[in-house]
Amino acid sequence: MSVLPYVVAAWLFGVGLYGIATSRNFIHLVGCLGVCQSATYVLLLGLGYRWGSIAPIFYDHPPGTPAVDPVMQALVLTDIVVGATLTALLLVLTVQAYKRGGSLDPEKLRPMRAGGNKGPDQGSRPVSDGGRQTP
Amino acid sequence: MTALLPLPVAIPLVVCAVLLATAHLLPGRVPDILALLAAVAVAILCAVIAVQAADRPLVYWFGGWEPHDGVYLGIGFSVDAASGWIASFIGLLYALTFVFAWGFFDRTHGHFHILMLLFLAAMVGFCFTRDMFNLFVWFEVMSVAAFALTAYHLAESSLAGAINFTVVNSLAGFLMLGGIGLIYAQTGTLDFDGIATAVAQGGRNPVVAGAFCLVAAALMIKGAIVPFQFWLADAHAVAPSPVSVIFSGSMVSLGLFGLAKVSAVVFGGSDQVQGALPVLLIGLGSATALLGGWMALLQRHLKRMLAFSTISHAGIMLTGLGALSIGGTGGMLVYVVGHGLVKGALFMIAGILLATQASIDEIALRGLGRGIWPAGIAMALAGLLLCGLPIGTLDQGTRLVQGALSQEGHGMALAATAIGAALTGAAVLRAAGRIFLGLGPDPGDEAGAPSADEREKANRPLWLMLAPCCALLAVDLALPAGPIAHALPRAVSAFMHRPEGGMLAEGPGWLPWFSVAAALAGAGYGLFRKRLPAFVVRPVRATQSAPTRALEILHSGLIGDYAAWLAVGVAVIAAVLAMA
Repeated sequence: MSVLPYVVAAWLFGVGLYGIATSRNFIHLVGCLGVCQSATYVLLLGLGYRWGSIAPIFYDHPPGTPAVDPVMQALVLTDIVVGATLTALLLVLTVQAYKRGGSLDPEKLRPMRAGGNKGPDQGSRPVSDGGRQTP
Repeated sequence: MTALLPLPVAIPLVVCAVLLATAHLLPGRVPDILALLAAVAVAILCAVIAVQAADRPLVYWFGGWEPHDGVYLGIGFSVDAASGWIASFIGLLYALTFVFAWGFFDRTHGHFHILMLLFLAAMVGFCFTRDMFNLFVWFEVMSVAAFALTAYHLAESSLAGAINFTVVNSLAGFLMLGGIGLIYAQTGTLDFDGIATAVAQGGRNPVVAGAFCLVAAALMIKGAIVPFQFWLADAHAVAPSPVSVIFSGSMVSLGLFGLAKVSAVVFGGSDQVQGALPVLLIGLGSATALLGGWMALLQRHLKRMLAFSTISHAGIMLTGLGALSIGGTGGMLVYVVGHGLVKGALFMIAGILLATQASIDEIALRGLGRGIWPAGIAMALAGLLLCGLPIGTLDQGTRLVQGALSQEGHGMALAATAIGAALTGAAVLRAAGRIFLGLGPDPGDEAGAPSADEREKANRPLWLMLAPCCALLAVDLALPAGPIAHALPRAVSAFMHRPEGGMLAEGPGWLPWFSVAAALAGAGYGLFRKRLPAFVVRPVRATQSAPTRALEILHSGLIGDYAAWLAVGVAVIAAVLAMA
């Protein structure tokens, strides 16, 4: 098997992770997560591929015809279902967060940092957090 | 008998589907009752299965697809005694959580119960399966249910926490799937035993090491091991209290349970993996135990503090795994149960405070707990158990883990387990002293410090919330140590697919007492710092302020930072594997 699918998969995952690490917008971040997931599709399909063989459907082929690995294809299908669920869930969360926080920027929507009462960054908290500082 | 095996997964799923179809028609408390019954049924069934599996593991092949001539086509459940008892413990934890959550939500249309039952089914399936891809499916079902439950309140802070949780754990799922693809490509099967046979015959192989790297990283992300731990504090602190009970009590430790199974069974034959495991698990586990304990001590948000304490205890469990012995893994399994019971009780107390006092801030709650003193007693007891009071199941697990560590000569890890437990115990005891006894300096204006405006429903009777909490502590104290110690070697050898052998060692008897003393000293220091002479306070303050500030900056709450640390963690695992 050629090494290309491995390289493409690793590259996609790395690029997606870089996108997540630097993202300033949750919608963009969900997209980057999708890129990371594409890495798994490429890897799995690449691993299951056989040169010169058919799709694993034997309706119009005699049994015994070389076919690509159907297990990998099943894994990819499951993976796509998982991906759809995650994307939908994350987008719902993003919409709700935007409704409440008025922003899509992860910097402005940090989860409660109530524990950090001693932290020096307390003074420089984003303004949008102000609403929560009710005594 | 083996026909029973799918039931503990099927029952919650069926009840879940029934509730989903009929919840809007059912009167008030019926979803609570149905969910409670389902959880109790799971606990009992799993216990029955565990008893039956005492001699040899029970195996069930779905659709009768049994393996022929070493070719595994079907998907199976394989339950050894240890997995069965862990699943039974999870059922019990859910049952008590359902009692605790009785009337917790006003109009849920049963959604809370539906998600919880899905979560339960996924956890039991995760314990029972013997197929890598099936393991991944349960991992994902568990994750998706957990994501939705975290965001259940749909408040601003819980949404941000849930998004961080979702992104990091989704990445874990992708890593795991990649690893599973690699190991399947190498061995041509997804069955645990089939892979194990092929791996053992294969010798040193970079694809196998790569597969282990990805799967282990995924399970460590679930298990909140440094440097993957960031999501946990965000998610556990904002989830509804009953959900936090399940998260800390079972979800995190199940990640490590999965790691134990995969590393012992599936990759047991790879010398490269087995050579890398002690360094990797002991090193990361010790770091996690210390960092979690330290961070717990810095928190004033009670649930966040408990979340960091869970991280610390996950580190202790990982060091137990790293001993790579029957005693270490056995100790870890006992520790999972003991820790789940105690931590579940503590999160219930946090929930009680949220419900009755409408606050979760340690400083703001100072002295406000006097009216509900029974909860204070429970919290103090749980704090003492957490730091190692030598009684109960958690202590038994601690001793076994420490015994295995000292037997294998991991002195540093031994110290880390004792110190980590002491730090988390100190944090809990300090909070208990401040909230229920009114100790510590009067905060004055500081009481109104920033904190999310949180509260949970207040109109539940105290006894209803306190009863499951006390039941958890009672189970931890009452589980018989003798029979557990007797059955453990056999159960663990079946769990690890390894011949029985060697005595279970116990750690030095003074070590738990050291942890308790250190925890009390730490709690006392936190409460009475202002009254102590300057020559005590100044050196402590001078040495701890810089690392403390660094740690707090690290826990930034930014998902981008978490993703970067995730990449670092995977690289560390890969590097250790490459050098082994």
